[in-house]
Amino acid sequence: MSSKTSLKNSVIDWSSTIDMIDNVRIDELGVKERTSSLATRSIKRDSKLEGLKKIVSMCDLTTLEGEDTEGKIAQMSSKAMTPDPSDADVPNAAAVCVYPSLVSTAKNIVRDSNVKVASVSSYFPSGQAPLESKIVDTQFAINEGADEIDIVINRKAFFEGDFRKVYDEIVSLKEICGDIHLKTILEVGELETYENIKKASLIALSAGSDFIKTSTGKISSGASREACLVMARAVREFADSGYGVKGIKVAGGIRDSKDAIRYLVIINEELGVEWLTPEYFRFGASSLLDDVLKQIKKLKTNSYQSSYYFPRG
Amino acid sequence: MNNWEYSESIESEKIVNIEKKYGNFIDGKFVTPKSKQYIDTISPSTEKILSSISIGNQQDVDYAVASAKEGLKKWSKTNPSERAKYLFKLARLIQERSREFAVLESLDGGKPIKESRDFDLPQVAQNFFYYAGWADKLDIAWGNEQYKPYGVVGQIIPWNFPLLMLSWKVAPALATGNTVVLKPAETTPLTALLFAELCEEVGLPDGVFNLVTGDGSTGSHLVNHKDIKKIAFTGSTGVGKYIQKSLAGKDVGLTLELGGKAANIVYSDAALDEAVEGVVNGIFFNQGHVCCAGSRLLVQEDIEEKFIKKLEKRMQTLNVGNPLDKNTDVGAINSKDQLDKIEKLVNEGVADGGDLFQIECELPKNGFWFKPSLFTSVQANYKIATEEIFGPVLTTLTFRTPEEAVEIANNTEYGLSAGIWTEKGSKILWTADRLEAGVIWANTFNKFDPASPFGGYKESGFGREGGRHGLLSYLKVSS
Amino acid sequence: MTDIKKTYKNYVHGKFVRSESGKVYSIDLKEEKYEIPLTSKKDLRDAVTSSKEGFKNWNQLTMYNRSQILYRLSEMIEGNKDSYISLLQDHGLSKLDSKNDINHAIDTIVWYAGLVDKWEQLTGNLNPVAGEYFNISHQEAIGVTFTLSPNSMSLNKLVKAILPALTVGCSVINFSDKNAVIALKLSEDVNNSDFPSGSLNLLSGKFENIVEDVGGHVEIKHTAIYEDISKKSKEVLGQKGSESVKRISLLPSTSGLSSILPFIETKTVWHPKGK
Repeated sequence: MSSKTSLKNSVIDWSSTIDMIDNVRIDELGVKERTSSLATRSIKRDSKLEGLKKIVSMCDLTTLEGEDTEGKIAQMSSKAMTPDPSDADVPNAAAVCVYPSLVSTAKNIVRDSNVKVASVSSYFPSGQAPLESKIVDTQFAINEGADEIDIVINRKAFFEGDFRKVYDEIVSLKEICGDIHLKTILEVGELETYENIKKASLIALSAGSDFIKTSTGKISSGASREACLVMARAVREFADSGYGVKGIKVAGGIRDSKDAIRYLVIINEELGVEWLTPEYFRFGASSLLDDVLKQIKKLKTNSYQSSYYFPRG
Repeated sequence: MNNWEYSESIESEKIVNIEKKYGNFIDGKFVTPKSKQYIDTISPSTEKILSSISIGNQQDVDYAVASAKEGLKKWSKTNPSERAKYLFKLARLIQERSREFAVLESLDGGKPIKESRDFDLPQVAQNFFYYAGWADKLDIAWGNEQYKPYGVVGQIIPWNFPLLMLSWKVAPALATGNTVVLKPAETTPLTALLFAELCEEVGLPDGVFNLVTGDGSTGSHLVNHKDIKKIAFTGSTGVGKYIQKSLAGKDVGLTLELGGKAANIVYSDAALDEAVEGVVNGIFFNQGHVCCAGSRLLVQEDIEEKFIKKLEKRMQTLNVGNPLDKNTDVGAINSKDQLDKIEKLVNEGVADGGDLFQIECELPKNGFWFKPSLFTSVQANYKIATEEIFGPVLTTLTFRTPEEAVEIANNTEYGLSAGIWTEKGSKILWTADRLEAGVIWANTFNKFDPASPFGGYKESGFGREGGRHGLLSYLKVSS
Repeated sequence: MTDIKKTYKNYVHGKFVRSESGKVYSIDLKEEKYEIPLTSKKDLRDAVTSSKEGFKNWNQLTMYNRSQILYRLSEMIEGNKDSYISLLQDHGLSKLDSKNDINHAIDTIVWYAGLVDKWEQLTGNLNPVAGEYFNISHQEAIGVTFTLSPNSMSLNKLVKAILPALTVGCSVINFSDKNAVIALKLSEDVNNSDFPSGSLNLLSGKFENIVEDVGGHVEIKHTAIYEDISKKSKEVLGQKGSESVKRISLLPSTSGLSSILPFIETKTVWHPKGK
């Protein structure tokens, strides 16, 4: 992990990137078997409580709807700062994730806390716009005060075989971001094969992304544990090559604690416990947090909870 | 915050009910052994005594064989579709009581509950289910020749997969119309004894399944009994050779499933992360107490360094400890004797000049344990490269070309299994054609299915278990 | 005097449904009188839609799993044996004949249950081609299959019209006329045996009402009939079926390996061997 500061923002050149991509070989069944074997881990008692608290601290509370208003964002932001007002032991969430036009609203509320504001950009969720427009979109979010930017890869270019274009666009957007945390969404549900997911992961990492993220949450197929495993192995390969330590965000369809813990197990065993911090692993979710809070209460009080004990987010 | 150890998650032992002392199961009931000799069976993870079992002597074996002979009269007249139904019912009962069996297996043998629960028991039930289906289809299994059961069959099974090996032996034997005298290993008899209770429960006719516990001497009485028409043995090559010699010149059928020293060949164009998983599973599954374990890693020279690094990192994530903890990946070594044998070979490997990597982990104070281990810088003539270790120890050799890989892989008296890792299909088939092994896994390892035949080439034995071919181990062409 | 008639429904996609037409026909037995749905063309189309999904569902399961489900059906029938026996007696069979028929039906199902994970070991093989190729022929289920029930009062004959196609992985639409009460009774046990929705649909009615649509429906890949249907129906089925090269066969008369052969396709795969 020693190389993380020096290499964090560097871009890996295209020819090294192509070398990595050419060597991508994945056995689908092998990935599935490993994933289902990790799902049998039985996480109980102390390790469960510890895991659940980690999950809270890794949550990017997200709302990405046309109907979002300042009022809704205010509520969510305040919940991110103090997810469970009745229990000081429960940490704050990592960030709130919103559309660019709502960044300043969120920022105003979380300004003095540890909670970051993440904004989607680059014509989320389709990414079907010229690079210039994506740059404008991203620049706007940054100007509004975003701490983190979530962009989407150019799937059109990816499927047309123009990997270079996918890479170049991310490089350009990272340039604008500078030190601002860049998360690149692969949309694994569209990529379909594990080899595609790994290739896209490596392109995004090489191009300077700080995080790779599974999904937009806007198509029916969101994050999967298998995709997370493949992405974790891409991150591992990247780190083992001395290219830097990067993070993963899983988003889309993770609704309960049990599922979220299984993601933690994958990261723990494939990457290592060093990755189990909000700096390197995040959950993008809207309804997950409530279930996690309920489970924490349940572990501490030994009785099942109702969601009306917790503030709306 | 940078620490996330999994808390203990122990499967309760309360579900099992172990008697203080067990007799034999003969003629449809538990009987007091005539030998009056007993031996303790202990839990290898705690060294606690679980129960006492009898060491069957000549008289006990005589009684069991006589009962099987008597049972044959009825069994051979039982309609094949009725035979099928008994086996189907056994499969169902095993499914219903699988948690109990799994806990017992892990207690008695030391294997992780994860494996006994998710591998052994489902396979056992499926195996009875599968062979049940053949019982009324022997007429279409192997063409028009007249196949007949042998009659009374003696079966001797090992301690590494106690109940699974029982199912591999008993299900096809009964499906084809034979009756059985079974001897389980002396360190792991408890699940076989519980199985005998199920036979009683489904009302299997008396004498069809008989069980005599004991050690090598008991096995020897069984092998040499004049009324035994066929012996099926799974165990070491040494004992296999002894049995074959004992039966020389006699009209007794024999199938042997013996040792192995399988090569797991990793080509540089393999999906390496999946290959690492396969190699780990190939050798550390069931503490390496697997006759088909991928105990020789053959890795292509240009990726050796990268691959070993990945492998060591992955090995370090293995959880070693209490077999009843649901998060345990590697359990206890089955016995003190076996542990001594592993330690001796590993010490010799180090003395010979091999580089030994062992994972960092704490081992429990009591019980028999060995850290998952990896040897590199090994020469082909080292003992650890040729002898079956039967423990969690992997030996690495390198090769430059496919021809060389095949040559090294075949450079052994064994021929049970082999693994091939490459994303190139034609290379899999080319390599598989040339490997002298009864089972070859490509881009996977240690996969078993009742529908798939298993058994060895060369000194790994002869005969097949599983699949349509497995029927032939219990049928002979009638003249 | 009014007869109280017992009503049976079609069994489609795991649900008991009336004919959309609302039409019924009667089967009068010794003790009871039954109203039976008269399947319409629309009902048939619905059943095919269900069977198409059912084919997918049924094929997603492992052979072992399918085998267990068929075995489960035999267990269910075993558990309800007495009610089947009295139903057959109501159809005019003697008690002994009824009992024998049910026992045979159970044996038939158990036999096929055991074949599910074995038939391909008997029908598939490697082909020794001259050259460095791996060449294997293996078999797959043909798809949505329509089978007619023989018009005889026998559970055993009925299951023989259903099981061979199910065994190899086809989804089955079985159509009964005079023996519909037995078929629709069977549907109750089918419903309790974990069959995925649409893998087995049981309809009743008059074949001549729908024969043209059975022949013409492209999604029905195979139709198995019995010898005794009218010459006209046979012709219509054959002519309409020819438009989509539909497989049409006679229902197998015995259970044996040959009984499944009409319901499978052979696929041959070539692959080179080399370094």
